[in-house]
Amino acid sequence: MTGITELSESELRELRSSVRDFLEAKSSEEAVRKVIETDLGYDPEVWSQMAEQLRLPGLIIPEEYGGDGFGQVALGAVLEETGRALLCSPFFATVVLGAQALLASGDEEACAAYLPGIADGTTTAALAVSERTGAWDPVQIETRALRRGEGDAGWELTGTKSFVIDGVSADLLLVIARTTAGPSLFAVDRGAAGLTAEPLETLDGTRRMARVRLGGTPARLVGTDGAGGRLMARILDLAVTGLAAEQTGGAELCLESATAYARTRVQFGRQIGSFQAVKHKCADMLVQLELARASAREAAVIADKGDETAFAVAASAAHVCCSRAYMFAAAENIQVHGGIGFTWEHPAHLYFRRAKSSQLLFGGPHAYHERFLERLGF
Amino acid sequence: MAHDTHADAGDLASFTAEVRAFLDAHAPGGTAREDKAGTFVWGKGDDRMAYFSSDPPEEEQRKLEEARAWQRTRYENGFGWITGPAQYGGRDLTPVHDMVYNAIEAEYDVPDTGVLSVVGLGMIGPTILAHARDEIKDRWLPAMYRGEAIACQLFSEPEAGSDLASVRTRAVRDGDAWVLSGQKVWTSVAHHSRLGLALTRTNPDAPKHKGITAFLVDMTLPGVEVRPLRQMTGGADFNEVFLNEVRVPDDHRLGEVDGGWTVALTTLMNERATVGGDNGGPAAAALTPERLYAVLRASWTLDDRAVRAQAAELLADVMATEHLNTRALRGMRAGVTPGPEMSVAKLMYAQNLTCAAHLVTDVFGPRAIADSGEWGTYAWSELLLATPALRILGGTEEIMKNILAERVLGLPKEPGIDTRSPFRELRRSGTGEGAA
Repeated sequence: MTGITELSESELRELRSSVRDFLEAKSSEEAVRKVIETDLGYDPEVWSQMAEQLRLPGLIIPEEYGGDGFGQVALGAVLEETGRALLCSPFFATVVLGAQALLASGDEEACAAYLPGIADGTTTAALAVSERTGAWDPVQIETRALRRGEGDAGWELTGTKSFVIDGVSADLLLVIARTTAGPSLFAVDRGAAGLTAEPLETLDGTRRMARVRLGGTPARLVGTDGAGGRLMARILDLAVTGLAAEQTGGAELCLESATAYARTRVQFGRQIGSFQAVKHKCADMLVQLELARASAREAAVIADKGDETAFAVAASAAHVCCSRAYMFAAAENIQVHGGIGFTWEHPAHLYFRRAKSSQLLFGGPHAYHERFLERLGF
Repeated sequence: MAHDTHADAGDLASFTAEVRAFLDAHAPGGTAREDKAGTFVWGKGDDRMAYFSSDPPEEEQRKLEEARAWQRTRYENGFGWITGPAQYGGRDLTPVHDMVYNAIEAEYDVPDTGVLSVVGLGMIGPTILAHARDEIKDRWLPAMYRGEAIACQLFSEPEAGSDLASVRTRAVRDGDAWVLSGQKVWTSVAHHSRLGLALTRTNPDAPKHKGITAFLVDMTLPGVEVRPLRQMTGGADFNEVFLNEVRVPDDHRLGEVDGGWTVALTTLMNERATVGGDNGGPAAAALTPERLYAVLRASWTLDDRAVRAQAAELLADVMATEHLNTRALRGMRAGVTPGPEMSVAKLMYAQNLTCAAHLVTDVFGPRAIADSGEWGTYAWSELLLATPALRILGGTEEIMKNILAERVLGLPKEPGIDTRSPFRELRRSGTGEGAA
């Protein structure tokens, strides 16, 4: 990618700390618990503040579309913080998936139409790819797109999308559907005819998912007709890189929580962190966290350098490492806490749920192993 | 600019050019190598996959002479001791310059100097520099960095492994000398060494860390006996060293009497710097995607879902470990003190090689347990047998995890009486009582 505004190390530190300060105030455990009980699943007030005070929705959107034009390194820094704080927000679906799908499409008209609204926080987006099986596989796309009129806007979509993150609340839906030329990307407005979205019960209340039904729904082609397969691969690389940063932040918090408890909890007359069985659990979590952080941050560095082949490998490797690291840290955190860690009142289960949902979001271990191996030529 | 913590970019650029000019002119194997991994072809070349050397004695001797000669060339051209002081033949540059030199040299075909550098030049040299008297430094440091005097570490003992401060080799003062008696074990390169850095017990009535004294022992002195120690691979890369009333002059004492633990810490600190960066070596090829792909193809397991999952997890860890090293190095160049990356990389290097050796031998099945003559199959058994050592040497996995948990995560140490009681009252292995 070219035209990325680079941040110096100190600017990056500043970005991290301003996001952390904001989230400590706005996404406390109490706030997260409150918001996951609501229908919407996020606090619109906080979303507006993220846009107005921190300009986060426009972070990676180029300046010509109203954003600040930063790259994956900056985005990763923000996502590590949102992952730590279990932030419930349209940020992931809107920015990591939606905005990046639009940018990856190379469709300047569509970018000009939608990105300014995303950048200023007035438009939220969702990306609808997977169907019954949850797979991100172009071959499994059954939703059809038929041409009904002239130009890019003259399409209608019919089919059912599943596991759509923020599919109920999003203003703009970006949908992969099959034309005679193959899978292609389309834009659908929230109020479009024949569009219904129903919330799915989810393991992880901090990430909402929906089933979206399209019945002859008017849609606008984004990018080239038939380019959806290649586009899906590119979007997925960017999505798992963002996810890897979130996972790193979550794993980091689990480790901090476990070590803080191990330092203060006393049994058998000593802090439990002085027992090697507990100490080594924490050390194992640290090893996993360091691998996760290195792989997530380095994938972002490679993305910003613009080496697409190396990025595809690094992104898929980061997805493997970070998925494993977060799941491990979230599970071991509960183990270090013992009984208290298994209670509803303790936040450990929120991270456990998020860790598992993140690991399986884009297909799970078999899918990510195969994607990584494929990129290595296996 | 002696011993600045970091170097500026312009300075590094001219240093880099100087290093390249030196290597272009002097590297015995000629010009810079192309991508090493790219040259791998299944069935071609040497299929040995070993961590430890298993060369016959004459071959080992030949490689030793090559290593000495290359170290001498480095020394004569100002690259023998990049971080060392000029008065002992050093360059007074920073650890970053040292890393830059190593990274560039890795692109050239030059002799492996591990036998001199890993322990002697990497760990013992800096310890002598920090703790020896001037006349001892004058006498030994230039000889070491010219490649003449190899040095080893006489630290571990049968009863002092992870608990190094429990050494019981005795040193008793006799006029202006000390008489050393005891047994050392797991001593790498002792059979080639002119010098050994010995930790000895000089005061058994003090707590264990406070009764140790360090000596630089001339390995040619009467009473020093080196016996090869055959390890589970069948080879003998380590030694037992017996000290039988060896008279060491007091001027070869490092640090204070009973102050040897401070000396040992200097050595160990440098060990971590050396071992953490150990990502190359003869076994590095075992961890490349090209090699693993070829193995899966040769074992008809490219379609095996379970094998593929293991290979993916392994290769993702290998890549993350490389990223850890890359990021630590980049940080150090920018003047950032490294965090736990190097310790994690060391743990992962051992784990990745262990995992690779098991994965590959498992998919080869019987071809990994009996030599059918087929290229690149039984050869892996040698690496497999070396893997337990990787999780022990340079600090066992368990000790490494204690260090990470205590120093990085701030978890409390295990409470014990062993740091407060007199050494002679501590319990010994295989006894129920106090000892010494």
